[in-house]
Amino acid sequence: MLLAATEYVRPASLEEALAALAGTAGARVLAGGQTLINVLKHRAAAVELLVDISRLEELRFIEVASDGSARIGAATTYLELERSAPLRAVAPTIGEVAAGTVDRQVRARGTIGGNACFADPASNYPPLLFALEASMEIAGPAGTRSVPAGEFFLGLYRTAVGAGELLRSITLPPLDGAGVGYRSLQLAADSWSIARAVAWVRCAAGEPRTIEAARVVLGCVAGAPVRASATEALLSGGAASEEAVSAAASLASEGLEPPSDVHASGSYRREMAAVMAKRALLDAIGGAA
Amino acid sequence: MSTPTGETTHYPEVEQSERLGAWSGKSVPRKEDKRLLKGQGAFVDDLWMHRQGHVHFVRSPYAHARIVSVDVARCEAQPGVYATLTGEEVGVLQQPFFQMAPEPAGLMKDYCMAVGKARYMGEPVVAVLAESAELARDAAALVEVVYEPLEVVVDGIATIEPQAPLLHEEIGSNVAWHGVFDYGDVDWALENADHVVRIDRLHFHRFSSTPLETTGALVNWDPGTGVVEFRSNNQMPMFAAMFIGPAIGLGIDHMQFSSQDIGGGFGIKITSYTYLTALALLSRKAGRPVKWSESRWEHLAASAHGNERTFLDVEVPVMSDGTILGFKVRAFDDAGAYLRYEPLGAVIWSQVVPGNYRFKHVRVDYTETLTNKCPVGPNRGYSRLQHLWLIERIVDVVAKELGFDRVELRKLNYVQPEEFPYETPNGCIYDSGDYPAMLDLALELIDYEGARKRQLASAGSGKRIGIGIGSTLDSGTNNFGQSRIINSALPFSGNGEAAVVRLDLYGEITVTIGTSPQGQGHETTAAQVTADILGCNPDLVHVVAGYNKAANTYVGFSGTYASQFAVTGLGAVMGAAERLRGEIVKVGACMLGAEESDIELADGFVRLAANHEAAIPFIGIAATVFANVAELPGELADSVTLNCRYVYRPPFTVPDHETKRGKLTLTYASQVHAAVVEIDEETGQVTILDYAAVDECGRKVNPKIVEGQVHGATGHGIGAALYETFEYDADGQLLNSTFADYHAVTSLDVPHIATGEIECPSPFTPNGAKGMGEGGGAPLSTIASAIEDALPQGAHIVYDTHNNSERVYELLRSAAAAGPRGVEVISR
Amino acid sequence: MATEGSAVHAIEVTVNGVPHSVAVPARRLLVHFIRETLGLRGTHIGCDTGNCGACSVICDGQLIKSCMMLAVQADGCEVETIESLGDGPDGLDPIQEAFKEHHGLQCGYCTPGIVLNAKTLLAENPHPSEAEIRRALKGNICRCTGYVNIVASIEAAAAGAGSVTP
Repeated sequence: MLLAATEYVRPASLEEALAALAGTAGARVLAGGQTLINVLKHRAAAVELLVDISRLEELRFIEVASDGSARIGAATTYLELERSAPLRAVAPTIGEVAAGTVDRQVRARGTIGGNACFADPASNYPPLLFALEASMEIAGPAGTRSVPAGEFFLGLYRTAVGAGELLRSITLPPLDGAGVGYRSLQLAADSWSIARAVAWVRCAAGEPRTIEAARVVLGCVAGAPVRASATEALLSGGAASEEAVSAAASLASEGLEPPSDVHASGSYRREMAAVMAKRALLDAIGGAA
Repeated sequence: MSTPTGETTHYPEVEQSERLGAWSGKSVPRKEDKRLLKGQGAFVDDLWMHRQGHVHFVRSPYAHARIVSVDVARCEAQPGVYATLTGEEVGVLQQPFFQMAPEPAGLMKDYCMAVGKARYMGEPVVAVLAESAELARDAAALVEVVYEPLEVVVDGIATIEPQAPLLHEEIGSNVAWHGVFDYGDVDWALENADHVVRIDRLHFHRFSSTPLETTGALVNWDPGTGVVEFRSNNQMPMFAAMFIGPAIGLGIDHMQFSSQDIGGGFGIKITSYTYLTALALLSRKAGRPVKWSESRWEHLAASAHGNERTFLDVEVPVMSDGTILGFKVRAFDDAGAYLRYEPLGAVIWSQVVPGNYRFKHVRVDYTETLTNKCPVGPNRGYSRLQHLWLIERIVDVVAKELGFDRVELRKLNYVQPEEFPYETPNGCIYDSGDYPAMLDLALELIDYEGARKRQLASAGSGKRIGIGIGSTLDSGTNNFGQSRIINSALPFSGNGEAAVVRLDLYGEITVTIGTSPQGQGHETTAAQVTADILGCNPDLVHVVAGYNKAANTYVGFSGTYASQFAVTGLGAVMGAAERLRGEIVKVGACMLGAEESDIELADGFVRLAANHEAAIPFIGIAATVFANVAELPGELADSVTLNCRYVYRPPFTVPDHETKRGKLTLTYASQVHAAVVEIDEETGQVTILDYAAVDECGRKVNPKIVEGQVHGATGHGIGAALYETFEYDADGQLLNSTFADYHAVTSLDVPHIATGEIECPSPFTPNGAKGMGEGGGAPLSTIASAIEDALPQGAHIVYDTHNNSERVYELLRSAAAAGPRGVEVISR
Repeated sequence: MATEGSAVHAIEVTVNGVPHSVAVPARRLLVHFIRETLGLRGTHIGCDTGNCGACSVICDGQLIKSCMMLAVQADGCEVETIESLGDGPDGLDPIQEAFKEHHGLQCGYCTPGIVLNAKTLLAENPHPSEAEIRRALKGNICRCTGYVNIVASIEAAAAGAGSVTP
């Protein structure tokens, strides 16, 4: 509960933040702190310098373009995401996920960037950003580089953000009529997820409805979110029917060895990931144009 | 085998006070609330003493390890570190704690910190005292402890095998206690019954009420007076004193205990006497007050857990008309690494041998065992919870297997309203109740008929609906003589609570009690009954907040625990108030020149009933007695003090150690709950659609306070049933020791609770009330019952108190797997 | 091991309307600053992972957990704790009155956080449904009440049923 001694700085700009990160080994970005402060309380990591970016306007914004794409600053809070009407119009799932995150105290301070960079298997945003094929903009001493979400989440607590860098923004491509489904099996209401699946589906025009393309990403089954490729392959070009979805979803977690922990066994996680995949797909189909 | 006596000797019926009524029975708003709402409560971490140091405990990371060496040199060299205390020192400074278990378990050497060996993960090993809490925490990281890990045992049954690692060498085994409770003739019943239902295994899991405020204390061993002052949130201070005193060689008269506001207790703050002992020794060594606030993970890993009990080989004789004759079972209670209030749990369940039912033949072969886990404490519902859950499982399973309706089977076997007072097979007396009426009310509250229709309509929808019932008892005001059933040498019996009601110098009505409330509203209810007896408004009654050994009064069992305040605490207040009333009337009569029979008390005045103008305010009475006493005739002056103490003593005798029979508790509140749940067939996730709790606790002194207790106990029960469990791995590591992983239920998990009530006054208490508050764990039975009702044909029975979605998923699949169901029926 | 002196920051924070200029170590949590440095004891600590909400305070108009924020992060902020409610030392505000009337507290340990939760909820949503109330309360654990009377108290406060203290 009592933190170890540490240093703190609140840079006035992104440039200053990067300089601070580069200047001290063992420096960490502090945004909302809704995860990092717990880490510090339990002395699970030694942090020499906390670089507080939570008030940087450069990192805290929501921009929605006329083409339906959106760019979100990494330090934007869950509350801001939940309340943004423009964002809801182009990417409703982002705000819905924010609204269901933990509790309102956490939502007032926690950020999408913090969630993405923590990269816990149970973190809310990684599988969603992966399924939406978001672009993760990483700022560093040499400038800003863009990494697709699918290459950003590398494993347990590991992302593509390197030493001296920080995540500055996330760009979401336009949905263009695709539907998105997001389903979690949780320990309790708005609590830890045991299995999670996010589906993105584009349907082709015409009757009966068919699936033009589908992406299914599973969370809580491995260190990083996992694409359910076998499921996607089976769905692509096929009927957008419950039967077809069930058949495809049953393959979703094949070959996976999810961990067992105090909340659930690996085998239950594996089976539930497939159930969540099915439900997320049906939701996505329901929401697709 | 023992036979009940032919003649039943009940408790004496107690004449109910005629004076209760103006305020008792009303939902008077609480006196405690203003300060608590304004954040002005005084909880232990809010307290501060000059020169205090802050304590941090270094704890064993191993569940079982020899402590090879401890080096505090680097730690003590840090500026601002005042002192340390190691297990080696404790082994010299402290006598091992008194053990309630008979030998060989009673030979256990239990100290306030690990001496030579750590026996559970989180056991304190070294205490560090420093200028600030941060410094203590930082410096503690510099303590070097070398451990030699030992083999660990976490299975509460396997631990009695000869090859299991021994926790306490001096005992020679990991058995804390064993005994057979045998009532009626269960062998005869099993031979002659029409059916025998056999259940392989039922398991009551390990969880805790986790009060929101953790344990804490500010302790000062004053070198000048030799008095140790404990400002702590221990909820049974005199029990703590009885253990601490001999341990540190101090008379109880040299120990002061106080608390004002306690942030929840639920039994978990009873066994903190071990920490208080360590803090006292540290204070004496350092020559300073020491302050300690337990962190949440320490509370979850190393304060107290509820008892975990496994029931094996349950056999239930049943007649063809549904009469359940009784049952036979082997029970194993896992007490963790030390016996801190145990093995009392081994007998306390027998307050409710047949549960709500008329079973006559019961045999329980009870073994209490030791494992490398956190020691258990008397968690809300202590020991009765486990047994009552077993009984409700038996009733549900018998109903299902033999094709009886669960409601009708209960009504057939319940103790009937006309049978009260009812003597149970081991001689306990159930005072009053009406279980069938409660069951009807509970079913009405959940719209049972409607729920059955929803259940039928849900077929094939992917959601399965289940309706559950749970009946339970909250036995209150216990006879500590039952401790002799587990150890005939224990010098305990009876019970009591003390109160003083007095007029202060200017006639202020002041009440002090020996209890240590943690939210139950004692200041308010004590004021209500005092106001009734003294004929005034409760606003005129000042009840001293909290517990204070020096300022308040107390007896050996003073504290707040075990569902008894309404009887013992208020019984004491009523007795003291009556005495004071008598004195006020005497003095008033004298001053008014009237007969005592002419006098009445009203609104803080003594007056002539026939002429209200002739009145003296209480200030007049007090001023005369305290400052103007020469005005009174000598005989009268000698006979009044206006400072009246009363000890309420329930009419207990000593139970029989040989036959294990006796009157173990005075009152029996009861609860019947009903629930409608919906289970997601694909995931096993359970949602509670409707929940109703019906309670009966005799005359309610403050109905809203009672209802609040019912809500809270229900919340705890629902939490344990679906969300809360302590899980250890094979190495004795507690896998969920923070609130991140131990899911204390939130406002989204606990549904709205519809409540109903009936009132069956107890004939044995001075106010017709019964102790309540623990709740009896009805949700555990109710939710198990509802889940089982939702399962498909052929599924395994619900066998555990904890049913998270994975376990329910397994139960759902067990139907298709067509494997063993955990139950077998043998019919003649 | 870094000593305290090397990481101290001057902050300006207004608490319950009173401005404070204080130097705090970087590692000090806001809840400890409130309790120990300012001596305001009404904000409580119930866990060590930011789950229980007993430490909830209002910071720049938002309900936050003060154990999940560093004191240095409150620089320039306006913080309101439970001590800011009620008309002076003897008064209770309408929300507090509603809790008293409806037995919305037992041991009182979670109460300050819960009352501030109610205050911010009703400021944003004056007539919340039961579902909205329960949603809002999710981050505040209570072990005594089973939440039933807390919900009832907030509903009563919303309906304006709390009486004014004389």
